[in-house]
Amino acid sequence: MPNALELTGIRKSFDGFAALTDARFSARWGEVHALLGENGAGKSSLMNIAAGLYAPEAGQLLVDDNPVRFTGPRDAAKHRIGMVHQHFKLVRPFTVAQNILLTAPPPAEFQSHGERLREITRDIRNKAAELGFDIDPSKRVDALSVAEQQRVEILKVLLAGARILILDEPTAVLTDQEAARLLQTVQGLARKGAAVVLVTHKMADVKTYADRVTVMRGGRTVATLQPSETSVAELVKLTVGESIAAQGFQPPAAPRGPVRLSVRGLRTPASPEGRRVLDGVDLDLHAGEIYGLAGVGGNGQGELAGAIMGLEGEPTEGEMRLEGHGDLKTMPASVRRSIGIAAIPADRYGLALAGGLSVAENYAIGRVHTGCYGPVWRLRRNRIQSDTQEAVRVFDVQGVRSVAQKAALLSGGNAQKLVLAREFGKSPMLVLAHSPSRGLDVRASAEVHARLRAARDSGAAVLLISEDLDEVLQLADRVGVMTRGRIAGEFAQPADRQAIGQAMVDHG
Amino acid sequence: MNGGIVLNWLASTPDFAVPYALAALGLIICERAGVLALGAEGLMLVGALAGIGAQIVIGQPAVSLVLAMLAASVVSVLFAVMVIWLRVNQVIAGLALVFFCQGLTALVGSMAEWTNHATEGIGAMGLWPLSLLPGVGKLFEQNAMVWLTPPIFGAVAWFFARTSAGLRLRAVGENPQAADAAGIRVTAWRFAAVLAGSALVGLAGAYISVVSTKLWIAGMTGGRGWIAVGLVIFARWSPWKALAGALLFGCIEALIPQLAAAGVQLPQYFVMMTPYAVTLGVMVWVALSRRGADEEPGALGQPYVREERR
Amino acid sequence: MADASLMADMAVPSSTSSTPPKASSAVAHEAPRNAQPVQPLARRRYALEIRQHMPWRWQALILAAALLAGFAISAAILIAAGVPADELANEFVMQTFFDGQNFRAVLFQAAPMILVGLAGCVAFRARFWNLGLEGQMIWGAIGATAVSMWQIGPENLRLPLMFIAAICCGLLWVLGPAWLKLKLGVNEIISTLMLNYMAANFLLHLVYGSWKDPKDNFPYSPQFRLFERLPELGAGIGSSILLAGVVALLAWWLASVSRMGLYLRFVDANPRVAHASGVPVRRTIYGAVLLSGAMAGLAGFAVAAGQEGRLTQAFYQGYGFSGILIAFLARNNPLAATVVALLVAALFVTGRSLQVFYQVPFSMVQLIQAVIVVCVASSDFFIRHRLRRVGGEAVQ
Repeated sequence: MPNALELTGIRKSFDGFAALTDARFSARWGEVHALLGENGAGKSSLMNIAAGLYAPEAGQLLVDDNPVRFTGPRDAAKHRIGMVHQHFKLVRPFTVAQNILLTAPPPAEFQSHGERLREITRDIRNKAAELGFDIDPSKRVDALSVAEQQRVEILKVLLAGARILILDEPTAVLTDQEAARLLQTVQGLARKGAAVVLVTHKMADVKTYADRVTVMRGGRTVATLQPSETSVAELVKLTVGESIAAQGFQPPAAPRGPVRLSVRGLRTPASPEGRRVLDGVDLDLHAGEIYGLAGVGGNGQGELAGAIMGLEGEPTEGEMRLEGHGDLKTMPASVRRSIGIAAIPADRYGLALAGGLSVAENYAIGRVHTGCYGPVWRLRRNRIQSDTQEAVRVFDVQGVRSVAQKAALLSGGNAQKLVLAREFGKSPMLVLAHSPSRGLDVRASAEVHARLRAARDSGAAVLLISEDLDEVLQLADRVGVMTRGRIAGEFAQPADRQAIGQAMVDHG
Repeated sequence: MNGGIVLNWLASTPDFAVPYALAALGLIICERAGVLALGAEGLMLVGALAGIGAQIVIGQPAVSLVLAMLAASVVSVLFAVMVIWLRVNQVIAGLALVFFCQGLTALVGSMAEWTNHATEGIGAMGLWPLSLLPGVGKLFEQNAMVWLTPPIFGAVAWFFARTSAGLRLRAVGENPQAADAAGIRVTAWRFAAVLAGSALVGLAGAYISVVSTKLWIAGMTGGRGWIAVGLVIFARWSPWKALAGALLFGCIEALIPQLAAAGVQLPQYFVMMTPYAVTLGVMVWVALSRRGADEEPGALGQPYVREERR
Repeated sequence: MADASLMADMAVPSSTSSTPPKASSAVAHEAPRNAQPVQPLARRRYALEIRQHMPWRWQALILAAALLAGFAISAAILIAAGVPADELANEFVMQTFFDGQNFRAVLFQAAPMILVGLAGCVAFRARFWNLGLEGQMIWGAIGATAVSMWQIGPENLRLPLMFIAAICCGLLWVLGPAWLKLKLGVNEIISTLMLNYMAANFLLHLVYGSWKDPKDNFPYSPQFRLFERLPELGAGIGSSILLAGVVALLAWWLASVSRMGLYLRFVDANPRVAHASGVPVRRTIYGAVLLSGAMAGLAGFAVAAGQEGRLTQAFYQGYGFSGILIAFLARNNPLAATVVALLVAALFVTGRSLQVFYQVPFSMVQLIQAVIVVCVASSDFFIRHRLRRVGGEAVQ
């Protein structure tokens, strides 16, 4: 059987950084082929080349065994390749039909705009029915849920004629149930003859749905296997290059302490349609305990994190009582830091680090207002420098040639370690960790988790918010599920994954 | 105030409103494509100077207006190259453009000795049969450009709402990544938008010099370009709302000479502050009343290099 | 119409398609290195990338090349305007720096120029586009004049009081836009500009009206008394330059030594991170913006009490854009701004003499400034990006 898509000897670098070195991949017609690897392994880059978004420096691309060279995504679309990206490429204020109109091939003969819209709307309805999707073509994209938007993306590429379908981390934003539905749908497409490439880092999905799997690591293709003949452990070994003991849940050393933060009835103002992002959150965080908040993104987790950190867009109702300090809402962000609230936000370069400033400055900003680096009229730069160097050593932040270099040059894992160095430097009493291992490889994740456990064991109250259910189950002493702006259920460890998944379902 | 004054006031309003309207429309075209066009003040001056120059040399108003549009488009190429190809910060580039145009037009105007050189304008056209009405008929005697303005607005509004090309342009301004992935050439569309929008802005400037005042003085636009920028925000990037806003400004500006004619004594320079004060007021009102910028083009002001932080 | 069937035959062109070259895109330079952000599309066979870092030497080289290009274009324009080519070097360099009287004029001119340049630097460091420098200058001069006209305070304190009044007025005139931006999100570009026009009209109202000098019929205020003027330092050099120098040191201290300098760096780099890291963002921005207004007001004082000796109708013209230009070229660095301001002052003085000797209109100066900004701004492209050839034939 000929290969639908084949890439050989691909090389690609960004600003001197080699993202892909001699990468290979091939997918056959009628199969679901998983592309497995950790963040930064190069799988998205490789598929972006296949989809015509990047141009490789070396290597060959073949479609149906014919060599091709793409000059852009339109070109790839002409060769029936369609990619559904992790970050959807949809114009939010436009309707579904308008979005699909943008990518539809031009009509053979002249049609007015209105006619084209009507024809596309018809096609959308037909295709959606065929796939079992329930999509209204006249609805605006920003009124759709994330799962629905993803379906629009899939319809988009199918209606543009794609027979080679590339899905980049499609289940990252879905609940377990939605993910299962999606993967079954694409499996169905493959059975009808399409070639489906599933870019993922989830072993479970690979084992369940893929016919073949190609593993990438560090920009290279490591192996191509059949999932039915491999174990998860072996896949892990290929993916990370060594065996990492599967980290199970480790119960705390000591029983938990008193309530450190008590959140009651936290609400944000209602939108014109009457929806609230935070709709009555009730939560108790105890000292010496890790509370894991699970849930698919977009249910208010970010806003809850922001409320505790003291960002703008404060909730208007409810209270957050901190042990010994009263209501957090009245406390500005700078004060919260000085009393020992540490925050590791999800958006590293949006909320935690200023990429354009130096490592030393990013480290120092956490404590400069306490006066330890000099009075208001004079900053003691040599103290900052030595303190930063010490912190970099203790927290094992790699890639720092000089503390004066820009923070943006650090890799994901090391940037996160810098954040930890800054936040954990003075023993915090409350730690907020939002998706702390997003974008980190397994080793760095393990280090982060170890630090969180250590904080818990020294008496801090830890709130872990994560969309990665595995991470939550590994770390948390108690698990809560957040949907639609409130806590829908709480579970003690060892928790029943199915029950948690069920609690997450009713969202949006 | 008797009816005559009110009639005069309303009849003179369109003359003041047209430059604001056309400039705002040109800016809307640019900004819907994602390019923040702060250089309007400069481009209006270019249009004004080119229009008068053409009028002095050729003497045909229609030709002069077209040449003015062309001149403004040509100058806007500099701006387009800076912000679209070279990804210069759009605020700096806009400011630089304004001062470049101010310097250039003052220089050329004085060297070519076009300053204060009076020309012929265009005559008034009546909108028959409404212009035959007694009294109110005066409202319908306006020059040809006034009558052309609503159709121009209609054409642009139709373009955005009902054509595929308009959809593409809006996509470029809302989400250039999505447009790019859909195969739309972001650079080309933005270039086209800047050139087309600048032509209209130039036309607005030319209207002031060729039709309204019939002469050229350095700096004669007096901040109208900046007011138009504010007007676009006030109009939430919608052409018809911009037209309404322009009429509002036109009304206010037209009121001033009428009050003077009616014998109302006002301190001269405070009166001249009115358009600016009103603009400021309008900006504050917009800020107070909006619930998040939902109509603002999603990628406005960002060169197509920047990505949302993930 | 789109082929919805999966079983249709495929047409496979084997070489480059007919899609014309498209725009390149690149990524925000703050993204971490190995997060793969959206990367360039092929454009013919070139790709556009964002550089992470460029060594200082190269940056300086590119800046120098841009300035050279700017000067060359300006020289061309001047020659086209009728200035003989050989006279250009003479006018700009010899006359300006080596002629005693001209040099003093440059220093005089430099004092308010440095002040507005610094005002620009300080405001832009807080990401606040203070385009209202001229309006704040006007009010600074008005405040100082008011103290003179209403004879506030004893004679020996008059000048310091004028100084204080100028600072307060400049500061107050920018307070409105600052509050509007921080509280309501009103765009400060428009608000500060509108206030410029309003201030200019108010000035005209004063000098044509109640503050007009009764002695002659010109639109200016009565002359300041001797003790109301900035004293000379000897050799004909005014003390305003000294004032400017002190303020420059103050600005340098603020930016590089004080804690607020670090806060400002964070606010400039990333306001969200600043806020989340505990920086008092509001206070920092207010502080910087109000200081900027005060400096601009001081510039007005320097002109009124240092150069003109009275309140005139057009003293502020050209300073607004100059301030922005200086801050932009100096990359918001106070010491560099001082140097750039001196050069701009030289440009102004030369412009005036060109006006006298060659009938070149003064707007030429504005044009030259704009040309230089365009050249330098465009050269930034090469500092921040790199063009690379990619994807030749499939070879490996």
